[in-house]
Amino acid sequence: MLKILNGGIEVVVEDWPGRLGYLGKGMAPAGAMDNVSLEFANLLVGNPVGEAGLEIAGGYFQAEFGADTVISVTGTDMKPTINDQAIPIWESVEVKKGDLIKFSHFSEFGFRSYMAVAGGIDVPVYLDSKSTCIFGSYGGFEGRKLQPDDVLKFGKPAQDLASLKDRKLNKKMIPEYSREWKIRAIPGPNTCPDYVTEEGMDFLFSHSFKIQHSSNRSAYRLDEVKPGFFAREDGGVGGSHPSNIVDHAYSMRGALNICGNTPIILIADGPTLGGYFCALSIINADLWKVGQGTPSRDYIKFLLCTPEEAIQARIEQRELFTEKSLL
Amino acid sequence: MEVTVKAHMPGLVARVVVNEGDKVTAGQEVAVINCMKTEIHVFVESDGVVKEILVKEWDEIEIGSPMIVLEA
Repeated sequence: MLKILNGGIEVVVEDWPGRLGYLGKGMAPAGAMDNVSLEFANLLVGNPVGEAGLEIAGGYFQAEFGADTVISVTGTDMKPTINDQAIPIWESVEVKKGDLIKFSHFSEFGFRSYMAVAGGIDVPVYLDSKSTCIFGSYGGFEGRKLQPDDVLKFGKPAQDLASLKDRKLNKKMIPEYSREWKIRAIPGPNTCPDYVTEEGMDFLFSHSFKIQHSSNRSAYRLDEVKPGFFAREDGGVGGSHPSNIVDHAYSMRGALNICGNTPIILIADGPTLGGYFCALSIINADLWKVGQGTPSRDYIKFLLCTPEEAIQARIEQRELFTEKSLL
Repeated sequence: MEVTVKAHMPGLVARVVVNEGDKVTAGQEVAVINCMKTEIHVFVESDGVVKEILVKEWDEIEIGSPMIVLEA
């Protein structure tokens, strides 16, 4: 078990692919903001790669282990320590009962760190997933971020702990981080010429958008679009602003919603429907980059992509999460 | 000795809850940062007197931005 000493900025239990199949009932998928880091973390400790781990946003998390186990930390380097001794990331590490783990804050690159434990985090499976949806207050550990004195239970490891320690990810597999995240996206469903001008679409695929401070697990807000972006004067029966439409389902996760003049990426805990149009859809293989984007600091640049390229990228990404990626 | 209280998260300054000349004690909240639509509290690590406030409400700050100077 793990006793939380300091919940830090925002630490939640998340798995992958999250809670799929319930959008029609208004349930967000939740799930890890950076699935690549979570899945590699699980691979390192011998878990099924989609098993639940801890998503640590920002940092300052501290906890005490109540049992011997093996852990791995991935994602941004928050300079984690065990009993004040630095531990490596992208590797599995043995810990003992009574050990204290501490995280500093996010590094020069990236915003979220992930910790997997051999056997996974033992929280109830709710609607097919252990993921926390903060916005909806369900799933994970009591539907919320962790707080001091919370106690998490671990699942049963798949193998002997001794065989799981000191496993390393091949350095070639560690994702490349940036402060300007290049994210592939498919135009639509609401695009040129009905909703956005050609100049507007050029702007979406050429501007470097700063991530706004209010970005969180529901939505990443970006810089406003420029005059000349919209192809219509108003939203007709949908509303007075040209970004308005009659409410419809959003293509979760990864829709770029145009809300007034503000483009907003709808992600893990985001809304399942609404009355603003969506000009782009981020491809599944690049969603992790949104999760590592640091609010108030990093930028996002969209790269044009076809559905065929998106499917191929997804296939290639899924092939990474096997023992072949370990040294 | 002067001690500078720095931002531990990026975001907007939601408010500063002390005034220049106020005495503060270790662990006391002195400001609030708004990030991820969450209020994140800024605490001082040592006793002192607020000498200078370097930020104001709605200022955008980065991690490590100086916020308040204390005479410790």
